[in-house]
This record gives sequence, structure tokens and C-alpha cells, in this order.
Amino acid sequence: MANDYDIEETAPKGLLRRAWKYGSLCAILGVSAWLLWPPGAPTGAAGQAAAARAAGPGAKYVIKFSPGTQYMPGSVPFGIGKPLEGLAKVVGRFERRFPDTHIEIINVPRVREYLVTQLSSGAAPDIINVNVEDVWVDVQKGWYIPLDGFLEAPNPFVAEKHDPNLPGARQWWDLFRYQAISRGKAAPDGRNYCITMDMIETGIFYNKTIFTKLGLKAPETWPEFLAVMRRLKHEPDLTPLLMYLDEYNDWATDLMFDQLYYNLLPGIDLVKDPAREPYLQGYLDGDELVFLLHKGFFGPRDKRYRDLWRIMKQLKQYTNDDMTNTDLTRQFVTRHGAMIWTSSPMTYRLWSDHKLGFEWGVFYPPRFTKETSPYASDTDMCVIGGAAAQFEVTCSAVGDTDASLPLEERMARSERLRRVMAFLQFLCTPEQTEQVVNEYPCLIPNIVGVPVLAPLAPFEKILERRYTTTKWLFSFDLRFSHIQESMLGLYLAGGVSLDEFLKWQKANLDAAAENLIRRKTPDFAAMQAQWKHLAPVRARMADMPEEAREDKP
Amino acid sequence: MIRPNLKSTLGCYAIVLPGIVLLLTFIYLPVVWAFSKSLQEFEVGGPARFVGLANYREYLTLDPTCWPSVLNMLLLTMFAVFVRLTAPLIVAKLIHSLPRERWRHFYRVVFLAPIVVPGVAVQLIWQGMIYADDGMLNSLLKGLGLSGWARGWLSDPHTALAAVMMVGFPFVGGFEVLIYYAGLSAIPDSVNEAARLEGCTGVSKFFRIDIPLILSQLKLIVLLTVIGGMQGFEGLFILTRGGPGFKTTVPGLWMYFNAFMFQRMGYACAIGVLLFLAIFALTLLNLRYFKSAEDVKGES
Repeated sequence: MANDYDIEETAPKGLLRRAWKYGSLCAILGVSAWLLWPPGAPTGAAGQAAAARAAGPGAKYVIKFSPGTQYMPGSVPFGIGKPLEGLAKVVGRFERRFPDTHIEIINVPRVREYLVTQLSSGAAPDIINVNVEDVWVDVQKGWYIPLDGFLEAPNPFVAEKHDPNLPGARQWWDLFRYQAISRGKAAPDGRNYCITMDMIETGIFYNKTIFTKLGLKAPETWPEFLAVMRRLKHEPDLTPLLMYLDEYNDWATDLMFDQLYYNLLPGIDLVKDPAREPYLQGYLDGDELVFLLHKGFFGPRDKRYRDLWRIMKQLKQYTNDDMTNTDLTRQFVTRHGAMIWTSSPMTYRLWSDHKLGFEWGVFYPPRFTKETSPYASDTDMCVIGGAAAQFEVTCSAVGDTDASLPLEERMARSERLRRVMAFLQFLCTPEQTEQVVNEYPCLIPNIVGVPVLAPLAPFEKILERRYTTTKWLFSFDLRFSHIQESMLGLYLAGGVSLDEFLKWQKANLDAAAENLIRRKTPDFAAMQAQWKHLAPVRARMADMPEEAREDKP
Repeated sequence: MIRPNLKSTLGCYAIVLPGIVLLLTFIYLPVVWAFSKSLQEFEVGGPARFVGLANYREYLTLDPTCWPSVLNMLLLTMFAVFVRLTAPLIVAKLIHSLPRERWRHFYRVVFLAPIVVPGVAVQLIWQGMIYADDGMLNSLLKGLGLSGWARGWLSDPHTALAAVMMVGFPFVGGFEVLIYYAGLSAIPDSVNEAARLEGCTGVSKFFRIDIPLILSQLKLIVLLTVIGGMQGFEGLFILTRGGPGFKTTVPGLWMYFNAFMFQRMGYACAIGVLLFLAIFALTLLNLRYFKSAEDVKGES
């Protein structure tokens, strides 16, 4: 049998075949090399220079800004009304003042997976809008710019008015209306990485028409709340309260924790940060929680902690079966739910729906009484909402400096960072914030001097309350949050007993504490000294965990 | 024997080279990289520290999700193998038995068309339209006066895994139908004719003639289903995120969470390597012990 390789070929035919063979080979190799070549969009200083060239002749700096969906120019919130344009107008004004700077508004996914890959490759936008708690996990990697120095300095756009009495003229911090919440966003390393110009708060939206028909009124205490839900549960095809698993895990946990532990704060609040204490009034940071954990708190033998989850289960019996998949807004507007625990943006959804067909109102979760729990602090529920748009500056903003230098030096040298901060300072002046935040009734302005739109008045009232004792989900790592949510879902659905849940939670807390200690190395000696100092205060308190009474180091 | 000379074969090797480079870069190199990282404590953007087999030890002995999630994976995979070996085969046989080619063609198209719907869309339909509190299933039960049976199908720990398994009902995937149909069509007419003359028809022929002659197709489907079942977690991510608790968590999903949410990349790599080894072993077992039609012919 003849072998293909040994066929004798005539000269022209062979030449042609060889040309075809080697030509196609070169083409394949060329295409492959092109495919394997590093990405075309250069990062760092070269990429920024290329972007500036593309932006136009005047633009020396192109700042990439991802504002999130709430203010994205051209978007239509809830599909109702005109496309938004407030932020685009503010950007236009800024660019007119700084002709060498172009603000490119982009929309990036807010998912953590995306963020991590962008930041690790140095390709993240200069300003992003993500929950600052996602930032805390990575601050030690130098991916974000600490903003304290800017916040403690005057806002130049206020200072230029030459009135030292104007908020922001002395320090930018003074421009923020809700100081406790704004300062409470400081990371576990004590530094602030977040600028927030608006607030979001939760509330229970209720169907007034159903309440009136059944002779019910907004409750003022937790027992009244349970009584209202018991009555509503008798109505066919009506769920008394709609809420997702996220809300149990986040809002309900923090509020109930505060109700049960608030009275203990004088004896267990160990770290008094002089900068934050006047605003946060006893907030328990993650390292304090870890210290208390080692003192026997938050375990199966902490009576308050047990009661927290018991009350949570009691609440579950009046809420929707499916805690993750059902569209609860639809349930509420189609009158299959009498109440929904959600946040202030729902205001716009209901306020602008002229076909809703019922009246609605908002009340805040009411306080526990001794009937609810013997450990109830008998104080009003605190605030657990907080910053809505949370703008963080990434290390892309110092991309015009030598990456081998320490971050502080890069910050001092970077002209680009000055533009980025100038834009944020400009955005946070009352005139500009009003244009953006008050374009539609969704969020509450956090800048002094910007009025609150009338439909959001109930939330403005809620925000006058004191801030929460702690934010459990945001004190520890994301693994802790995930496991707590998963096991809480199982516990609420009847898959595990309270004891089993607490066993899981103890292991989860121990792992999170270990991680926090490894990352932050807290000063436990100082806390122990304070703990001893507060022993007489705790001696007057009842139902403390046994280990806490024994005062073991 | 005439051996091809090096000069004439060099071009062929060169043509294959880009493919090999791509294969090495995107398939084999990440496997090696994952194996090396599985021996480290490693976070994206953070320093790495060699920890030996600590990640493996932690997953296999300390992680409370490990064995429940392996059990979930096995149950889901076994169920998937069962339904993919039965429902599409029955449908393929029924289509193949139709007397007229026009109808056979029509039904092939009908069963193949849904393959263009993205898997994510299918999951979302089941999640939002069927399993939700106000979904079709609960509405149907309430309509039949069985309100007590209505529940949050994906939130209820007693039903969540079964609810996940039932996504895709009636399990007549177009791909499997097509594979089985091709196998049935490849059975020689002479065999069918001989079976008819011997009086072997209907169910008897299906079990005695058809199935032995499409063993290669069955083997392929088993192989693909086992690999897919052990690797896949996208559906669970969309439907339940592994909950309630860890009732629907599988190792692949836990690997994903560790890698991209908790940033425990080394730990995630260890789970990935263990999964790779398990899949590799099962594939070898399948190839070694699951007979194909050719093996059967060889034996006879």
C-alpha cells in the first residue's frame, strides 16, 4: 500500500501543495499567537494614558466611576417615570470646572467575585459602589484608599465660599448628616474607606386598607405586633408578614440582639474609640465580640443569645413559607401579604403606582417588652439601616504613581487621586447631592442642608433613633455570614432544633473569631484591663453567662 | 514498513502544536496549578503559605459540610443517571417505532427544540413559577383543596433536595433522545428482520435486542451524566445556594463558595483536586466495567 508521505509529486504541484501547507500553518500559528497575547486593554499608568487620549484632547485624567444602579443615568427605577439624569448633570458641571478630567460613568456588577478579580488585576474602576463590609475583608491587601485624611480636611468646594460656619468648611466630615452611621462604616482597622451621600432604612410597609377592615392598627410593642399577625393569619390566602431569609439574618438578628443586650452595654462595651464613641455610643466591634465570645457570651449557655433565636422562630410562624424564591413585592401589591419588611426604595414603587388600589403606611419594628423576653431592655428599636450608595476609592486611583512605593506615598504623589477625591467632594456638596439623591423618592440624603422628600418622611423619623449595638454580618468574614444564613434558614424551616443550631453557630463563631484574630491581632490585654475595671458594673447585672461572672482571663 | 520521514511529518506536528499549547495552557496547567495551590493557604491578592496536606485534612475530617455534601452529590448523580437512562430512551424508542418518517422527524424536532433554552432560564422558571409560594405547584394544591401540602419547596429541608432533583421533569432531554435514537437507527435491518421472524417483538425485542445493541450510547450517557453530576453546581447555586442549611450543598458548590466568596483559594483547590480524583476514578471504572455494544459483539 502506498504511503501518502512518499508519493512522488510533480514539481509545480508539489510546490503549490507545500505553499498551501506552510501558508495555512503560518496562519494557524499567527492566529494562535494573537489569541494567546495578553489582553489589549493596558492597565496602570499606560492604560490611563490611553483612556485619556480616547476621551478627547482636553482630558488628561479619565476617572472611571461605577455609581450603582440607583443613580445610573438613563435608567428607569422600577420601570416607572423618566430616565434618570441627575448624576449626569453633576458630572457635566464637574467637568466644566476641571476641563482636564473626564468622569466616565460605567456600570459594573456588584458581585463580589467580579470585584475581587478586577481589583487583583488592577483593572477596577477608580470609584466603586459596594457595601463597605465587602471592602473590610480586603483592606490589608492595599486594594482601597483610606479616606480619613480627606474627611478630616475641609471640603474645598465649601471652603471656597469663605464662610467658616458652613458645614464642611472645617472638615468634610461635618457635611454628613447621619454621623453615627457614616462613622460606623469604619473598617476593623479603624480607618474609613467609604463616602456615603444617602441613607437607606428599613421599615414595615403595611396595607392600611386591610388593617382598617380588620380593625387593626400599627403595633407599638412586640406583643401587639404578634397579636396583629395572629389576627391576620386567620384571613384566607393572606400572609401576615413578608420577609426574605436575608432580612432574618441581617436586620432581625441585629435588632433583636440590640433589644436583649442593650442594657448590658455599660458592663461589656470595652473599647472606647474617641473618634467614633460620641456618635456610635457603645457599638461593639468585631474584636469586642470575639473577646466577649471568649467570656462565654453568644454560646449555648448565654440565655440572651438563646432567647434571640427563640423569638426569631416565633416570628417565622407568621411569615411566608418560601424565604428565598418568591417575589414578595408582588405578593404585597397583589394583597397576598398584609405587611412587608423591606427598605425605603419600596416607597417609590408604591407611591408611584396609581393602580395599587389600597392605602399603605410604614411603621418600624416595635420594641420588646418583658412579656417578649425576661431579658428585654425595654428600649425602642434602634436603627439598622445605613449608608445606601457607598463609594469606595480603589487603588486604580493612584495608578499614575510607581506601584512599588508604599500606599501612603503613592497617595501623596498621585495627581489622579486628587481629581478622584475632588469629584467626590464636589458630589457631596448640598447643591449636587440634592440633584442626584432627590431626583426621585427612594433614599434619604446624608448631606446637611439637603431636604428629605415628603414620601420618605417616615424614614427620616426612623433615622433619628440611636444606631445599632452591632452589625453581626459585618463584624466577621463572609464565611461566617454564609454559614449563619444557611443554618438560620434550616432552623427557621424546622430542619434543626435550637440546640443543634446553637452548636453550629458556636463552631461558626469560633472559626470567625480565629480568622479575625489572625487578620487583625486585636489588643486583648487592653480589653481585659477594661473588663476588670467594669466588673463592679457587671456585678449588678443579672443572667450573665457563667464564664463572664467567673472573670477568667 | 515505510516510515514517514521527519521532514514531511514536521509540518503536521506544527499544525497540531497550537492546539496542544492551548490544551496545556487552559486545561492541564490549571490542574497542576490547582494541585500546587491546594497545598497552600492562599487568598487572591494575599500572600501564600505552604501548609502541606492541611487543606485536605480539614475538608475530609473537620469540615461539617463534607460528607453530607458528598451524599447529596451521590444522590443527585444517581438520580440523574437513572432518569437519563430511562425516560429519553423510552421516548427515543417510541419515536423510532413510528411507521412514517415524517412523524419521526416531527417528534425529533419537538424533543430537540427545548435544548436551545439556556439551563439558567430553566432553573429560574422552576424557581419562580413552579416552586415559589404563589407558584404553580402550590396554586394547584390549593386549588385541589390540599392547602396543607403547600410549602416552600426549596426552603423546606424535607423537600429541598427532591425539589432540586425534579427540576427538568419529565427528564426527556433532547440530547439524550437524539443519542439513543441514533443508536436505535444504527441497528441493522437484518437484525430487526431476524428478530421479527423469530417472534421477538415489542418489549421483548426492546430488552433482548435493542438495549444490548445500544450499550455504547448508554455507556456514553452514563459517563457524561456522572461527570456532569459530580462537577455541576450551577443549578444548585441558582435554586438554593446549597440551602436550607447544607441540605442541597455539593462539594463543587462548596468549592465555589470557598474560592470566590470566602477567598480560601487553597482550600477550594483541595476540594477541586479531590473531585478530580473521584471523577477520574469513576470514569476509569465506567470504561473498565460498563460493556459497550462492541464488547458484547466480541464476547458473542
